[in-house]
Amino acid sequence: MTWHVDAEDLRAYSQGELAPPGLWSADTHLVACAECRAVLAEVGESVDAGWERLDAELDAPRPGLFERLLVRVGVADHTARLLAATPVLRRSWLGAVVAVLVMSVLAAQSTGSVTLFLALPPLLPLAGVALSYGPALDPTYEMAVVSPVHGFRLLMIRTVAVLTAGLALGGLATLALPGLGLRALAWLLPALALTSAGLALSARLGPVLAPALVGGAWVALLVTAHAVQADSTLLPFTAAGQGVAAAVAALAGGLLFLVRDRFDRFQGSAA
Amino acid sequence: MTPTVSASGLSLRYGGTHALDDVSLRLTPGVTGLIGPNGAGKTTLLRVLATALPADGGAFTVLGHDPATSAGRQEVRRALGYLPQTPGFHPDFTPFEFVDYVAILKELTDRGARHREVRRVLEQVDLGEVRGKRIKKLSGGMRQRVALAAALIGDPGFLVLDEPTVGLDPEQRMRFRELIAQAGEGRTVLLSTHQTEDVAMLCHRVLVMAGGRIRFDGTPAELTARAAGRVWSSTERDPGARAGWRTGTGSFRNVGLPPVGADLLEPTLEDGYLLTLDEAEVPA
Repeated sequence: MTWHVDAEDLRAYSQGELAPPGLWSADTHLVACAECRAVLAEVGESVDAGWERLDAELDAPRPGLFERLLVRVGVADHTARLLAATPVLRRSWLGAVVAVLVMSVLAAQSTGSVTLFLALPPLLPLAGVALSYGPALDPTYEMAVVSPVHGFRLLMIRTVAVLTAGLALGGLATLALPGLGLRALAWLLPALALTSAGLALSARLGPVLAPALVGGAWVALLVTAHAVQADSTLLPFTAAGQGVAAAVAALAGGLLFLVRDRFDRFQGSAA
Repeated sequence: MTPTVSASGLSLRYGGTHALDDVSLRLTPGVTGLIGPNGAGKTTLLRVLATALPADGGAFTVLGHDPATSAGRQEVRRALGYLPQTPGFHPDFTPFEFVDYVAILKELTDRGARHREVRRVLEQVDLGEVRGKRIKKLSGGMRQRVALAAALIGDPGFLVLDEPTVGLDPEQRMRFRELIAQAGEGRTVLLSTHQTEDVAMLCHRVLVMAGGRIRFDGTPAELTARAAGRVWSSTERDPGARAGWRTGTGSFRNVGLPPVGADLLEPTLEDGYLLTLDEAEVPA
């Protein structure tokens, strides 16, 4: 053995206080290291609890890669499991987001127009959040909605995760267009506005119709703006447009908070 | 006995349809069966009692908690185990991971205690050996047991099971009945089912629902007794019978008002159920 579990960690382990990922390292190591097992047996009064924990942890299946990654970056293990159950955080969705962003970057580079690049990223978190919670797309929705965890809290946990992933990927895509400077981030506020508006309206219109309407309105706005001012920066990406997007995001956020209890009840077909 | 669930005047409309129409009931420990034809309102009633749907009218309590308030609803949910009609699973999860996920939703955040509870319920439904297999590789019966294990997390005082035996083969159904009977020891179970056999074998009490209303509330024996003297055998289907079908012996079993001198048969729970629906003028 090239290393051994620290005595303090072994004490915490025996008392059930060692958190992942240190807990996983200790579990794996203790199986193979007689020396550390001997130390574990000496560290305190709760040795039996330590052995019981070792037995329980060895029996528990190891979390998947995504969950382990979340825990390693500091997410609590129970929150990591809630996020691992979020349908749109799977590889297929993230792959689709990357593909859309790459295509929009390539389109911007080949045509010299950034309109497509700025128009698409706001739709991605809107769609991602819409797909993360609801009876149509979350297979465990009905069990989740009758659990003591408030539906709004679960929705917010997933929204933050989806937004973080979507905005991070969008941010990376902007690096591929260095010539645009800060203009390349003009999609950010519309993205927040669309997502919060989609969520706020979904409390009334449901998790499919609301984001579809908001996404449709965004596309209609861009098409109209393009028809009126084809040769200049489209209105939503000007300073005034950004201000409006920020205001919409704030208002929709406030409305969402007011209607939060609606997410604590079943939103699908009732019969 | 203090009821676990006490409901009065529950109603819920969708458009012009009464999904629930003035439903009142009291549930006590043991397994209560809820039977009725498709569209009777069974799933709607279960969803209302499970706090997934708010009723338009009426009120109910679960273990003394009123779900009309946010705090009361949370208390009801802490005391509730729920197996929906079509339980969904994240396909890449194992039974352990899935039940662990539901345990987190039930606020068990301490990892060690949670894992012990997950192991306990998986052992209870005999899935300890496959806890690490992907759910998508399990049989339909095993998946139902995973969902039951999830419903049993936290040892809930009120268990709501929505048609858990649908789609199971006879052997799996018998195994599942054993588990439900076990789960009903010391807690209140409301079991929605299409199978009168489930009711006959498991339930101390039965509710027959049709058209959004409770049409019968009593013991299985009382439901069976409703058909006493109203089931008879004949060589041809009796045109006066409410229902009639050819049995394995070749003779017809008729249910309804028997003609004078008819060859009366011992009624079953199913006969009582059919007559109850007939009196409610609902096709079975």
